[in-house]
Amino acid sequence: MAAVVEIKDVYKRFGSLEVLCGVSFAAQAGEVISLIGSSGSGKSTLLRCINMLEVPDEGSVLLDGEEIRMKTGRRGREPADEKQLRRIRSKLGMVFQSFNLWAHMTILQNVMEAPLRVEKRDVDEVRDEAIAMLEKVGIADKAHAYPAQLSGGQQQRAAIARALCINPALMLFDEPTSALDPELEGEVLRVIKDLAEEGRTMLLVTHDMDFAKEVSDRVIFLHQGMIEENGTVADVFGKARSERLQQFLAAAGHSQQGHPIPTITNSNRESGL
Amino acid sequence: MAGERESSVPPAHRDSDNGFWKTALSLGEPADRSHEGAQCGVRPLDWLIDIFGEDLGFWLGYLGNGKHLAWYASFRFTILAAIFGALIGLGFGLGGAGLLRARFRPLRIAGLAYANIVRGVPDVLFFLFFPLAFEQLVEWLISTQVCSPEAVAARAGSWPPCMEANWFLSTTEYLILASVSLGIVYGAFTANVINGAMNAVPKGQLEAARAYGFSRNQVFWRFQVRQMWIYALPGLSNVWMLLIKSTSLLSLLQIPDIVLWAERLGAPNFVPTAGLVHPDWRWRYYLVLFVFYIILTFLSERGFAWLRERVGRGVVAEG
Repeated sequence: MAAVVEIKDVYKRFGSLEVLCGVSFAAQAGEVISLIGSSGSGKSTLLRCINMLEVPDEGSVLLDGEEIRMKTGRRGREPADEKQLRRIRSKLGMVFQSFNLWAHMTILQNVMEAPLRVEKRDVDEVRDEAIAMLEKVGIADKAHAYPAQLSGGQQQRAAIARALCINPALMLFDEPTSALDPELEGEVLRVIKDLAEEGRTMLLVTHDMDFAKEVSDRVIFLHQGMIEENGTVADVFGKARSERLQQFLAAAGHSQQGHPIPTITNSNRESGL
Repeated sequence: MAGERESSVPPAHRDSDNGFWKTALSLGEPADRSHEGAQCGVRPLDWLIDIFGEDLGFWLGYLGNGKHLAWYASFRFTILAAIFGALIGLGFGLGGAGLLRARFRPLRIAGLAYANIVRGVPDVLFFLFFPLAFEQLVEWLISTQVCSPEAVAARAGSWPPCMEANWFLSTTEYLILASVSLGIVYGAFTANVINGAMNAVPKGQLEAARAYGFSRNQVFWRFQVRQMWIYALPGLSNVWMLLIKSTSLLSLLQIPDIVLWAERLGAPNFVPTAGLVHPDWRWRYYLVLFVFYIILTFLSERGFAWLRERVGRGVVAEG
C-alpha cells in the first residue's frame, strides 16, 4: 500500500535563503508524525509544501502514490494541473497557527463551505456532518457565532472541525497552539489527541515537546533544512544521537520523563466556552 | 436709505391692508375670485390664513410661485447626478482597481496613470474639460463620416460649417455627461480605495481557501471580494461625500440645478412697476442648500452605517 504522503528530495529557497535542502520522508496510513526543530529550520515550510502553499523548487510530493504534477512557468516552478491540485487539496485538512477562519461566515458556514463549494455535496448531509464535527470538538453551541466572537481556543477547535468535515486523508497541523494563551492550549491539544487516537494520519508541526512525545508515533527533527533525526518517540527523545537534537531538546526545556497534558474536565471545558 | 429700507419690505406688506396676500395665494386662478367672500370656501388655503394670519399666507404664495416650484423640481438633477455619478464611479473604481492589480504590466501602468492623473486634476477643471472634449470628439467623428468637403464649401462663411455633424446638448445630455464626469473623477478615488481594501483582506484566510481546494475564481470572489467591501466601505463613504459636494457644480454645464436657481431667485429683484421686490437674498437661498446638503450627509452616514453593519457582520466589532 502506498504511503499517504511521500516527499522526495524537496528543495525550497526564498531568494538566497535555503529553507529546505533535500528533504525526503513518508507517512503511512494512521501514523502521527511530529515535525520539530528550532525556528527557521524549515518545518512549517515543509508542511506547506505538501499542499503546495509553498511550491518546492525541486523534488516531488506524492499523495496516495499520486505525484503532484509540476511544470516550469514564467514565474518559476508551479503545479501543472490546477484540477489535480484542487482534487488533492480537497483531501488535505489543514489547521493553521492563526486559525484563518473565514471572518465573514459563521462557524457552521466555515465548516460547511468546502464540502459544499469544492466537493459539491448535498447541503442537508453536510449540515448534519458539520454539526456532528462541531459537537466532537465541543463547540456545537457556537455554530451560529462568528469567528471574532470566539476565544482563540474555540476558533482553533472550529478550524479543526472545518478540517475534519472534508473527510481528510491527511491532516496538517501548522503550530496549532502557538498563537494561543497557555490556558487555552489544553482544550485544543485535547482535541488533537482524540484525533490521533482515532487513527487518523496526521502531520504536526509543533514547539510543544511534551505534546509531540505524547501523541506521535514518529518524530522528525529538522535542522537547517535537513532531516537530522527521523524515528520513534522513544528513539528521538530517549536516545537522541545527534548533538544538535540534544542541544535543541535541552533548550526547549524538555524533561526526559515528561508530564501529561492537563486533562480537560467538563467543568473547565464549560468555563472556556 | 430710508427709502431703500421701506422698499425692501415685500409688496404684500406695503400694499393696502387686505389685498396682496390674496393675490399671492390665488396665483393662476382667475382674478375675480379674490372678490368672492371667504365664506364661499372656494380658496382651499383660506383656513390656513385663518389659523396663521396673513404673513404666512404671503410666504406660502411667494414660496409656491412658479419659479420656486422650478427650483424645487431642480433638486432632481442633483440627486440623479449623485446616484448615477456614484454608480458610474463604482464601475470605474472596480475597473481601475482591476487594472491596478493586473498581472500584465502595461495594464497596471494604465491603472496607475488613470488613478493618479485624474485624482490630481481639480474636479472643477475635469468637470468642464470632459463633457466639452467629449462633445467635440463626437462631432469631429461624425463630421468625418457625414460632411463632404463640397457640403462644407457650400456653407462657407456660415456657422456651423456642417449642420449634420452639429450635436445639440440639452439638459438631459449634459446631465448624462456630468454623471459620467463625476464617475470618472470619483472612480479614480474609488479604484484606490478598492485596491487598498483588496490588500487589507487577511492573507491567511485566502491561503486557507486555497488550501481547501477552492479555485482561483472562488478564492477571489467568495473570499477576497466579499471581504473587500468591509475594508472599502469607510473609504467609499468618504468618496461618496466628496461626490455629493461636487454635485453643486452642475450649473457649470448649463444644467439649471439647485445652485443656479438659488442664485437667480436670491439675486436682488427689481421690477420697474413695483420697485425693489427684495434685496440680495442669495445667502438665504444658499443657506437652504447648506441645510439640504447637511441632511444628505446625515442620511448618507446613516446609510453607510447600516451597510457596514450588514456587510461587516461578524467582522466589524459590534457595539
